[in-house]
Amino acid sequence: MVSIDVKNLCLEYKIPRRFSLSEGSKPLSAGGRIEQSAGRRVVAALSDVNFSLGSGDRLGLVGPNGAGKTTLLKVLYGIYEPTSGSLDVSGRVDALFNISLGFRKEVTGRRNIELRGLINGWSMEEIRARTDSIIEFSELGEFIDMPLKTYSQGMAARLAFSVSTTFEPEILLMDEWIGAGDASFRDKAAERMKQISQKAGIIVLASHNESLIEKVCNKCLRLENGRADPVVNLETDGAGND
Amino acid sequence: MKASSAGNLLYRLNLILESALCDVYQTFQNRRIWLEMAKEDIGDQHRRTLLGPFWLLINYLLFVGVFILVFGHSVGLQFFTAYVSTGLLVWVFIAEVFNQSSTLFNRESSFIKGTPMPLATYIMRLLTQSLIRFGYASLGCILLLVLGGVELSPIALWALPGVALVVLMAPAVITVVAFVGAYFPDFQFVVRNVMRVGMFLTPIFWGYGEINGIRAQLYAFNPFTYLVEVVRNPVVYGTVPWMAFAVTTIFGLLFWILALGLLGRFRKKIAYVV
Repeated sequence: MVSIDVKNLCLEYKIPRRFSLSEGSKPLSAGGRIEQSAGRRVVAALSDVNFSLGSGDRLGLVGPNGAGKTTLLKVLYGIYEPTSGSLDVSGRVDALFNISLGFRKEVTGRRNIELRGLINGWSMEEIRARTDSIIEFSELGEFIDMPLKTYSQGMAARLAFSVSTTFEPEILLMDEWIGAGDASFRDKAAERMKQISQKAGIIVLASHNESLIEKVCNKCLRLENGRADPVVNLETDGAGND
Repeated sequence: MKASSAGNLLYRLNLILESALCDVYQTFQNRRIWLEMAKEDIGDQHRRTLLGPFWLLINYLLFVGVFILVFGHSVGLQFFTAYVSTGLLVWVFIAEVFNQSSTLFNRESSFIKGTPMPLATYIMRLLTQSLIRFGYASLGCILLLVLGGVELSPIALWALPGVALVVLMAPAVITVVAFVGAYFPDFQFVVRNVMRVGMFLTPIFWGYGEINGIRAQLYAFNPFTYLVEVVRNPVVYGTVPWMAFAVTTIFGLLFWILALGLLGRFRKKIAYVV
């Protein structure tokens, strides 16, 4: 049984004040609210987020830049630990954030599939079982045994997309919809995303594209400055609730 | 009151240790990742070259060879060859580990912020790279010992536990230096400078025969001396340097305690820093 349970989740981090002789070394923050207290600056990236999702739920995260959408996805993925509140995730989590993470230009496409698979946490058997369908979907043909640096950008993106989406996720986290390659590949990619989202138990999708969210998701969570509104049920409440 | 605060402290230490061991356990479960990544890292550096990884051997031979050529004749070629080739073998490994780890987490930031892989993955990736380079340099060292006609006693085999001790200490050193380097960016320059002057402050080219004055102080109070000695003394003098083994073991344990503490306490904080 897959589920995500988030209760009163808060994420804060401190920005230490540093003395520096070099100019322009002010720390960058990813968003959220910067609060000053007792000489320390604390970024409240997420405060008091509540929702719970079960099998079949598709949650859309919306909000302006720096609202905390990506941060929330990364908390769900396990990259950041919540400062307070509770987070219960049951089910295998896969994520599509940075699809070309870990790609190496000096080695062949085939070897890149292997390396990327390991990074995704697949075993060698799983990788071997999937390699053929990844190659087929990427339409790279004989180029698969050429070094990645001989690929055009579109070819590399196709490979990255194929590797990242050849799995059967129980819980899928996505940051923006991914467009890869030329028009015909984009259609194929959209079709693949639809299949995955039908198979996945739970999807959490962060996007600025509200019509996409309405098309894919049945629930919607609006974030602003790290604060979350209550979850809106798109199916029963209707789209006019905004 | 006192008992409960002590209990509280123990409880927190236990949590930190548990968190660190969990990271280490996951890293070993997924050892394929860092082994393959390290292999590619080494491969990338020499891809399309004619000699490939043998450059690692040549680098070492050239470096040591020049020193022997310039300084060797004054103390006897055989002795100096054994002294410098073993000393530099250890030093180059130590220097690389220190230099590379001070910027480790920043170099790995896209992985640290993009995947939930355990943090020790990156530590082991660096260790594996360094060990591959060390392996080639060791070949060079053995080659020089043979070519230099160095006579070895059976005691020379004590260099092997010496190497093992240095290698076992390395992951802890990488962890500590990497954490300090991530939180204090100035540290990388401190490390780089210390390693640069360290090659001359550590008895690698000097330190045989009678030493006195400032050199005697440097010999005794430089911790790097003992790391070098556990490998060098069995080969060069045919003696077991018990003192050096003891000092190295103590430093190793201290680094391991510190490393597990830092890993357990800060492994999930690094994503905010890098």
